[in-house]
Amino acid sequence: MPVTRLLYPLYQFGGPQLRIFRPNWFFTLVRPGKEQPPDTVQFRIPMEMTKYDVKNYLEKIYNVPVGVVRTRIQHGSNKKRNHLNQRVKKPDYKVAYIQLAQGQTFTFPDIFPEKDGTAAEGSIEDIRKKYSEDEKQKQKLDPRRGGVTDWFGL
Amino acid sequence: MAARRRLPLLFHLKRVHTEAAVTEPAYPPIVHSLTAKSKGAKGRRFEEWVNQTSASPVEEKIASVTRMQRKKFVVYPQTFARNADRWYQHFTKTAYVPGLPGRFSPGQEEQGSPPAAAEAAVRATLPGIDRDAFEDIRAVVTRAILHEHWHEKKPRTFVYREQERLVGPFLRSLVTGLTFSLARYNPLLLQASVDLNPQLNFYWWRGQRIIPKGHRRGRVESPKFQIDDQPHSQIRITQQLPEFTSMEASYAAEVPEITVAPNMMPLFKRQYENRVFTGAKVPDPARYGHTQFHLVPDRYRRDRMARLQQSDQVDVFLRANALSSLFAWTGAQAMYQGFWNHEDVTRPFVSQAVITDGHFFTFFCYQLNTLALSVETDANNPRKNLLWGNESLRLYDRVEDGAVVGLNDDVIALLVQFLANRP
Repeated sequence: MPVTRLLYPLYQFGGPQLRIFRPNWFFTLVRPGKEQPPDTVQFRIPMEMTKYDVKNYLEKIYNVPVGVVRTRIQHGSNKKRNHLNQRVKKPDYKVAYIQLAQGQTFTFPDIFPEKDGTAAEGSIEDIRKKYSEDEKQKQKLDPRRGGVTDWFGL
Repeated sequence: MAARRRLPLLFHLKRVHTEAAVTEPAYPPIVHSLTAKSKGAKGRRFEEWVNQTSASPVEEKIASVTRMQRKKFVVYPQTFARNADRWYQHFTKTAYVPGLPGRFSPGQEEQGSPPAAAEAAVRATLPGIDRDAFEDIRAVVTRAILHEHWHEKKPRTFVYREQERLVGPFLRSLVTGLTFSLARYNPLLLQASVDLNPQLNFYWWRGQRIIPKGHRRGRVESPKFQIDDQPHSQIRITQQLPEFTSMEASYAAEVPEITVAPNMMPLFKRQYENRVFTGAKVPDPARYGHTQFHLVPDRYRRDRMARLQQSDQVDVFLRANALSSLFAWTGAQAMYQGFWNHEDVTRPFVSQAVITDGHFFTFFCYQLNTLALSVETDANNPRKNLLWGNESLRLYDRVEDGAVVGLNDDVIALLVQFLANRP
């Protein structure tokens, strides 16, 4: 079969509206590197998506009121070299900055909250901590030797 | 032994005479050097520049302030950015007050009996205008509307050029007609200058940031802003309009604080000539501003915004437009009088604006209380600039069979009051 060029369903006057029912596109919500205003959310989106696609995706599937979408393409660096001195390319990706409508705000949640040292009694972390302390205690030398190594002696 | 005993005697003799001596400094005051590579020297060079600029005449002062070029944020009065009015309020240290100042009677509330209430309002401001004069003014407005929308046949224009073809000429004839018919009652308008499509520029510094990257990394810098505006028309007068409220009344007003960098608005940087211009050069006699008229472009029309489900941004756009244009105009007027960042204004500068898209008219008043917006001058500055604005009002409903249907007298009354404003 001859290779036919696949033309995406380009719109022409009088043609039907393009409708995608089960898009194969997936978003990644990321924490912004630079501080963004409170109504701005940052996503990594597939390269093929446009601003209108992003807006419709969020509004129709997730019911998020979207005000305005701005996108940019981040070039992945091709500078790093591996052990064979070949350049290793990091993949390019598209970033979308979405400003929410209706006065809504969004802050990226803290996924890795700081844990203070004390753990609840009987919990797994507590048992694990005690076990590791016991193991470390077993590795230590006899305190009665006063820090002297056990290479020699009885 | 003997030498040691002689010295204390000499010391006593010396101390007796020093009390009677005059305490004048024997050496000049110790100041930082001018040419050293130190922070003190840089501060002293800056102080010398400030003193030298303050002492020079107006044109040299403006040239000195706008001489150094660096990348600056270009602030567009008519912007697509969301919530632009909050950002612009932060950049210009302006507080927004809903509703017009007490001098102008509110047109919205008196919807029951428009003609009588509107006339009463107009008569309150200007005793010369009576029923016949108001009818004449109504006739002027009606004539302008009918000429553009009924008598003249206008073919379809390009997309996004309808406003400038259909509404632009109407606004121009309205402005000129009203100005020259009200000149009888407001002698200021006889010597006023009506500019059509004037240029308006203003340049200022605001805030502080540390440069993150580049050969100037780590240094403290003040972001610069530039407004380049082209209102549809403006009226400049020879005398200053009176203030709406005292400067002290603005101390309590609230200005939104935004900690995020202006880039996120989105706002973009460019480097080009720093310009401060009111619409005429410095020696022009009509050096104070009276009223500006702005036209809403096709891109921000109400029906288009409604189609994009952004109807709440219409008000935001109008406020941002009025704020930035009027701040630029009053700031430029103040700079033409010799005030600048380090010499704050001693009297408030006042101007008015009307923004319209042909059907809806929105009125704004602005009072510039302070020009000191950079970090060192703004540290103990309680003054804030003020912007008043009212809700949009329809001028007329439609044109049918050569007659204007639903002409709103409140809007005409407000227009008359705005143009009749004088010290």
